[in-house]
Amino acid sequence: MRAAVRAELVKITTLRTGWLVLGAVLALQVLVEVQVVGLTADAVAQVTPDGSIEIFLGRREPARAALLEGIRASSLQISVFLPALAAVLAGQEFRGGQLGLTVLAVPRRGRLLVAKLLAAAAYLTLAAVLIATISTVFSYLGVKDRFPGLPVSADAVGGQARFILYAVLLGLSTYAIAVIARSTLVAIGVSLALITVTMTQVLAGAPGLDALLPVSAGRNLLLNPATGDLTSSPPQAVLVLVGWALVTALLAGVTLVRRDAR
Amino acid sequence: MIDIAHLSKRHGGRTAVDDVSFIARPGRVTGFLGPNGAGKSSTLRILLGLDAPGGGTATIHGRRYRDLDHPLRTVGALLDGAGPVPERRAVDHLTWIARSNRIPRARVGAVLELVGLAEVAGQRVKRYSLGMGQRLGIAAALLGEPDVLVLDEPVNGLDPEGIRWVRQLLRDYAASGRTVLLSSHLMAETAGTADDLVVINRGRIAGRGSVAEVTAGHPSLEAAFFALTGERTAA
Repeated sequence: MRAAVRAELVKITTLRTGWLVLGAVLALQVLVEVQVVGLTADAVAQVTPDGSIEIFLGRREPARAALLEGIRASSLQISVFLPALAAVLAGQEFRGGQLGLTVLAVPRRGRLLVAKLLAAAAYLTLAAVLIATISTVFSYLGVKDRFPGLPVSADAVGGQARFILYAVLLGLSTYAIAVIARSTLVAIGVSLALITVTMTQVLAGAPGLDALLPVSAGRNLLLNPATGDLTSSPPQAVLVLVGWALVTALLAGVTLVRRDAR
Repeated sequence: MIDIAHLSKRHGGRTAVDDVSFIARPGRVTGFLGPNGAGKSSTLRILLGLDAPGGGTATIHGRRYRDLDHPLRTVGALLDGAGPVPERRAVDHLTWIARSNRIPRARVGAVLELVGLAEVAGQRVKRYSLGMGQRLGIAAALLGEPDVLVLDEPVNGLDPEGIRWVRQLLRDYAASGRTVLLSSHLMAETAGTADDLVVINRGRIAGRGSVAEVTAGHPSLEAAFFALTGERTAA
């Protein structure tokens, strides 16, 4: 198994498209953060003696909680692009007939899928850590005058850990969808559809259903229920994300085992 | 040794392989000869665990391919339609294959040297010509120093020097006691390389034996082939 995982890691790290997509995601995040950091610093400068802050116009809230949520939200918003990275990593198998070579190298397909998921999880963890690090750095630049220790406090680090868990599980689900569909584009399309359903809140009238969507689960896991209309508790959100990863991985395994390696 | 017994496979409503049986022995090059679409590639894909058979068995040294430990150290294969990601560098392509079967990294350089690609190993595969791609495929097949070689149309895209090199490589491989199964639709090339022949047509075995046995009573392998397959000879 270790050899198969290492082989998959070599595949991932020697795929130029993967690095280009990751670079684009991180560059976009930096661009967004550069726009926001000044606004955060202005808001922090006007924190009232009772500790409230006005980040959004007309909405005063406890500064510490609001700034912590801001760090998590900063990571969350850019993570909508991570499924594209996962889809690219998975989709390489179906270009140039590489799947045939992969199955020649690791003919036990269950073992192959586990190796692929472990390698993808490692790379997605790296991507999520980089995103969390950028959020933390820019957060520090925004709050350093009043709350210099906040971005590396236990609460902030715990929030980023939850973000990394979400990003990796969402990425693995997308990876598995790409294996099922044998297509990068289909996996990106499915991810876009899931993101759109959550962002447009078309299921606002059915919160129980909304809570079962992976992107909604990410929001439920990371955002503050006091400031947003969330549809489940954080523990339930984790269950939903784990469920998506397991079910899609299981379907990918069945597909990989049952279909010819073409 | 490769042992194919009563193998069958259907693609949708079409029978691709129909009760195919033959043996490829160590120390010999076995030519697997047939026209395009005859069932050669389907048979090889089943042998190598890429496609599931409808019936029958295909074993290598008495075991199914998927049951081999580190299979690339037992079997080296070149298959049509199973190739590298075009944007990956050749050296990286061989590196992941080597890692997957615990093949020493030094073998990557050795096989690149052997197939004449050492100087372009850092290039992306999409920049390779057809012949260079074929050489890379052969390099991947040789990576694990396998006992058994299974090559599907290995001389496709090769220049005359490359064809001669492949022919000699396969002869040397068999001479060292190893098993070579060479699938091709090129009769002259197969006649010049193989010791034994298996002729397949429309998914069924049309003839098998040593080259001398298969061509007995015919002026050439080509004439024997058309007689066995019932196809009309070229004008």
